[in-house]
Amino acid sequence: MGRALKARRPVQAPGPGGVSLVRGEGFFTGHFQAMGGPCEVLVDTDDGPEARAALDLARSEALRIEHKFSRYRNDNILHEIHTAAGRPVSVDEETAHLLDYAALCYEMSEGRFDITSGVLRRVWKFDGSGNVPDGEAVRGLLERIGWHRVGWADPMLTLPEGMEIDFGGIGKEYAVDRAAGLVSGATHSAFVVNFGGDLFAHGPRRGGRAWGIGVDDPDRTGEAVLYRIELERGGLATSGDARRFVTWNGRRLGHILDPRTGWPVEDAPRSVTVVAPTCLEAGTLATLAYLRGPGAREFLEAEGVQHRIL
Amino acid sequence: MQLAGPPRTSSVRSRLRVAACLLLASGVPVLAHADGAPINTLDVTTLLYGEKDRARVIEPNVRVTRIYPDGQSFSGQLGIDVITGASPSGALPSGSVQTTTTPSGNRTSSEQGATPLTSFQDLRVSFDGDWTRPFLRAFTSTLGLRVSREKDYRSVGANAKLSVDLMNKLTILTGGLGFNHDQVDPVGGTHGGLGDGTVIPGRGVNPKEVHTAVLGVSRIITRRWIMAVNGSRTSEGGYLTDPYKVISLMDGESGLTVGQVTEQRPSTRVRKDILTTAAYHLEEDVIHASYRYYWDDWGVKSSTADVKYRSEVDPDAHVYVEPHLRYYTQTPADFFTFGFVQGAALPAYATSDYRLGPLRSVTLGATVGFELSGYPGEWTVRAEYIRQYGDASKANVTGVQKQFELFPAVNIGTVVIGYSLDF
Repeated sequence: MGRALKARRPVQAPGPGGVSLVRGEGFFTGHFQAMGGPCEVLVDTDDGPEARAALDLARSEALRIEHKFSRYRNDNILHEIHTAAGRPVSVDEETAHLLDYAALCYEMSEGRFDITSGVLRRVWKFDGSGNVPDGEAVRGLLERIGWHRVGWADPMLTLPEGMEIDFGGIGKEYAVDRAAGLVSGATHSAFVVNFGGDLFAHGPRRGGRAWGIGVDDPDRTGEAVLYRIELERGGLATSGDARRFVTWNGRRLGHILDPRTGWPVEDAPRSVTVVAPTCLEAGTLATLAYLRGPGAREFLEAEGVQHRIL
Repeated sequence: MQLAGPPRTSSVRSRLRVAACLLLASGVPVLAHADGAPINTLDVTTLLYGEKDRARVIEPNVRVTRIYPDGQSFSGQLGIDVITGASPSGALPSGSVQTTTTPSGNRTSSEQGATPLTSFQDLRVSFDGDWTRPFLRAFTSTLGLRVSREKDYRSVGANAKLSVDLMNKLTILTGGLGFNHDQVDPVGGTHGGLGDGTVIPGRGVNPKEVHTAVLGVSRIITRRWIMAVNGSRTSEGGYLTDPYKVISLMDGESGLTVGQVTEQRPSTRVRKDILTTAAYHLEEDVIHASYRYYWDDWGVKSSTADVKYRSEVDPDAHVYVEPHLRYYTQTPADFFTFGFVQGAALPAYATSDYRLGPLRSVTLGATVGFELSGYPGEWTVRAEYIRQYGDASKANVTGVQKQFELFPAVNIGTVVIGYSLDF
């Protein structure tokens, strides 16, 4: 049995330049920074150059997707959409597929999963403090939220002025699956692509072993692994408040907001971990479950999803 | 440890699985990052064209396109046309048996009352290459080269095109220039115009130059409706005569043909056209409609109306059917004539080529697109029936010619089989 890999953050800090490749017990681990967090690629091989090639592929795909869908750039499709001032924008095929996916998530979650809810971040700062925004400020923003206000007919997207789109809820999981697809075309070895805790395992490892994935204790994130999941092949993702929360009236409010109220989901589990055939599916199911608050467990059980709730 | 949850499925999960698979399997090219691998596309088509009792064409074509991660692309195409059969020589029905000579020395005899044909056989090989490059975010330039060669014709051409995206890509403006240098080298030598076929000594190769300018605008009107207007002006100079076409001389009384002269066209021609196209997306299906108006300084004016309806039969399996209807009509060139009365003074220019006559055609066809499960690539099969006919009601003919069908309808069938593969 290999050691448990922490799903929440890399075991080893990235080296100079943010990119490093370290030989572990029978596998290589590559580290880099992307999509706002630490990323890892584990390759079950003794061949350094092979591991390096896998790392480079995963990293370039992560950076590509980050570049394309970052809200903080002025040279990408999101900038074009956000500066269109209510006029329709013609989007490329990849963006169109993501929008289709987001539209389905919106529909299936009855409006809880909404890629236009990012504007709430202007008033919510999840820094672990006790600061919650003014109720009036939140209500003011609700008028600028709602996928139903968006005109979407492939390839034309019409976003009302003042609204924003954020692929944060699916972008990282999508990047994991995309990167895993590219790496699988370049290596015959088993591997794991782990972007900030959302991961895809391509196995089994040599000797028929599964990858051991550690799930962090939400209270001691990055310090203690609470339990371990044996994953031979598939996607795994966790939604929760482990690192981003505010404390309000003695309650800990996670960073996942309900776009219908503008407030964090109430009575939500601390963390929801889901295993599914792809990271995208795992991440979406985890988020959809989390958004149901106390109904998370019931939802996942009804869906017949492999999961763990804390 | 074991994870909770029995292996059941329900609606959310299964719909999500399908959607995730669709998104991840969409094969979105890695275009934005310079480290990505280029994408190659192979397109192979074969055109089979047949006119009843006339020409037959087989035209295999191979195109390879390579798209780089930065949006640049190169594409190269090799085409071969094999043409055999017969084409109207321009002569009138004889009234008695008549023969015509052909460039390759063959003879074709035609029955009394039938349109005389010239038989031919030719092989044309063409190559073209294009280089497209986006720059400064909103601009795209394309440079192209074309070369073709057949027994009696050589052509070398180049073109350049520049597009600019305006208003968030809602509007695209395109302008371009093209140049062609052709050489016509008639089999058997170059004949003098409106003569008895005497070859002009020492004149083998006849140059022809073509300059083209295009200007277009396409605009997304609504989310479902896209329109484009394109105009072009082409100026041709040099040898524009068809070396193998003739004009009959008929007896003023009986109408029987008594001889023939070669045709002669002006040495310049300015052609202009305006093409308006519209595409409208229904829920899944798409309607395409276009209208083209063409006119030139030879007096030819033509209109083409074209409608296609693409119906997505099974979008998941990429199966579609696209019926197609087109109508074409043109006025004859000022110097078009069905024939001359023997002894009458000849004009400076004249032709009996049906392609410069009062031509009409109706096209009915359909394209079927599909994929073969388990095999990569997309297939298309397009079949069209074209009926070409003319209006000879005002023909300037005498005697027996009035009884003949001077512009007989021609039935044409075409089939194009295409295969496209990304690799």
